[in-house]
Amino acid sequence: MVTLLRGTLRPLRLFQVFPGPAADVPLRAASQGTGLLYPEHIPTSLLQKVLLTAGSAGMALYNPYRHDMVAVLGETTGCRALRVLRDQMKRDSEGAQILQERPRISLSTLDLDKLRSLPEGSLAREYLRFLDVNRVSPDTRAPTRFVDDEELAYVIQRYREVHDMLHTLLGMPTNILGEIVVKWFEAVQTGLPMCILGALFGPIRLSAQHLQVLVSELVPWAVQNGRRAPCVLNLYYERRWEQPLKALREELGITDPPTHIKA
Amino acid sequence: MAAPRSCALWGSCGRGWSRVMRGCRLPGLRSSWPGSPLGARLLSQEKRATETHFGFETVSEEEKGGKVYQVFESVAKKYDVMNDMMSLGIHRLWKDLLLWRMHPFPGTQLLDVAGGTGDIAFRFLNYIQAQHRRKQKRQLRTQQNLSWEEIAQKYQNEEDSLNGSHVVVCDINKEMLKIGRKKACAQGYKTGKSYGKCTEEKLTARKEWKIICGGGSRLAWVLGDAEELPFDDDKFDVYTIAFGIRNVTHIDRALQEAHRVLKPGGRFLCLEFSQVTNPLVSRLYDLYSFQVIPVMGEVIAKDWKSYQYLVESIRQFPAQEEFKEMIEDAGFQKVTYESLTSGIVAIHSGFKL
Repeated sequence: MVTLLRGTLRPLRLFQVFPGPAADVPLRAASQGTGLLYPEHIPTSLLQKVLLTAGSAGMALYNPYRHDMVAVLGETTGCRALRVLRDQMKRDSEGAQILQERPRISLSTLDLDKLRSLPEGSLAREYLRFLDVNRVSPDTRAPTRFVDDEELAYVIQRYREVHDMLHTLLGMPTNILGEIVVKWFEAVQTGLPMCILGALFGPIRLSAQHLQVLVSELVPWAVQNGRRAPCVLNLYYERRWEQPLKALREELGITDPPTHIKA
Repeated sequence: MAAPRSCALWGSCGRGWSRVMRGCRLPGLRSSWPGSPLGARLLSQEKRATETHFGFETVSEEEKGGKVYQVFESVAKKYDVMNDMMSLGIHRLWKDLLLWRMHPFPGTQLLDVAGGTGDIAFRFLNYIQAQHRRKQKRQLRTQQNLSWEEIAQKYQNEEDSLNGSHVVVCDINKEMLKIGRKKACAQGYKTGKSYGKCTEEKLTARKEWKIICGGGSRLAWVLGDAEELPFDDDKFDVYTIAFGIRNVTHIDRALQEAHRVLKPGGRFLCLEFSQVTNPLVSRLYDLYSFQVIPVMGEVIAKDWKSYQYLVESIRQFPAQEEFKEMIEDAGFQKVTYESLTSGIVAIHSGFKL
């Protein structure tokens, strides 16, 4: 009976963890130290990824403050989209540079004084204003754990860190309405299943009035801009701090939002 | 699990090392230990002497205590919720069964080690109160014709329903004790019994504190290490340790301490995860443990690694017979064990005679 069970399960490779220890430990997750592609990596089997996807999606809907669950959802479902994104980044000159140099946006890597000294209206000042007004910090992004490829892990980390930049570019606050608009933009731009799911299911928790504004004005605007703009992950933001935000928006083809959303 | 469980070597050789050998079946690790486990052990026992296992990792013994502390510090808030989710509520039955095996009576002094959130302690108090109520009911049935004097006396006496029973909950982890105290206070208010107002009493000499909840003498919470209990010899009637002993760095020391603090005639009870006997159940259990539980930990408690440690530490714990021998080595007699749920958990019992 047991051998039958084993026989049916093994070809499925449902429980095997890639990459990692060999097939004589099919039901065990890899222990630490072996098969880790990057420091925070947790190798997971297909079954674990499926369970994580379901669990994190459910928990994110149940408790919208669990941002880490949205992140996990992105990691477990993003395999294909991340590969497409990475290839696209490689084809673009700025994007290829980013992939090579692997810059990170965090309070430790940003020189805040220098950024504050830049002229009013520049990307740096607008970004800092966004951080202040919404009381967020770039350090709240959890590290990637469940992506089984080191370069793709960086791509999704970059995507998360660029998320705040997108808020600045689109002029959206970090309340739930603003987040949904940014998710729509990202869904069109990146094609990540997590963004698509977030864009479709996020509005469940909105009031009727917000929903109306969202559907009639904000979503069409976000989708249009998303389609028009080149891939936002290809921008080397760290080299564009001095660039005036208006100029950057023009370069990307991003128009002003149809209705101003209060923070 | 196809690991050579009958490897009697482990009993004599450095436990930490050989358990790592059994648990880590990774080819990478295997190739670096050529030959039989015995041969490799002779070569490197000195080096391995102060190393032990932390789940499937190998760490030094000093490190393990700290790492286990961190695990429980981070899971404390969601500990009870996660227990319910992971065991689908069955852990309540296991703990109830432990109390039924214990069958305490009013006047019992219980020491619950590693009992952080107080599950066993509360069950103990409830059990004794239930017993007392049954006794009262029986009395009432027989004493239908009381005189007015006797009735008045009953109101005056207000006898302590626990009749001197006392529980000390001892845990090495402050966070777990905090959660336990909160639960005690909450339960006290809900049921109107005096688990009562919680006052804190600090024993300044050692860095331990004692929190007394309730009419002074029912429930005490003490910060202490199972390997070095802050109690005198021959103090308790029953010593329990539920799902705690596998986290202790030196299990033999914990068992010796248990023997020390028990009164002669006292009973040692241990409820712990053990080895599953049925091979089909074992495969399903492994599957569930390694595939589902860390995911649950991540989704519910935001902590994958602690729950990975948890399921790995279960695999590292000795089987029923081996643990029985360890208990006998510590000086206990009439040691027996009972496997529950196909061996997923086992209750070991021994007496200090």
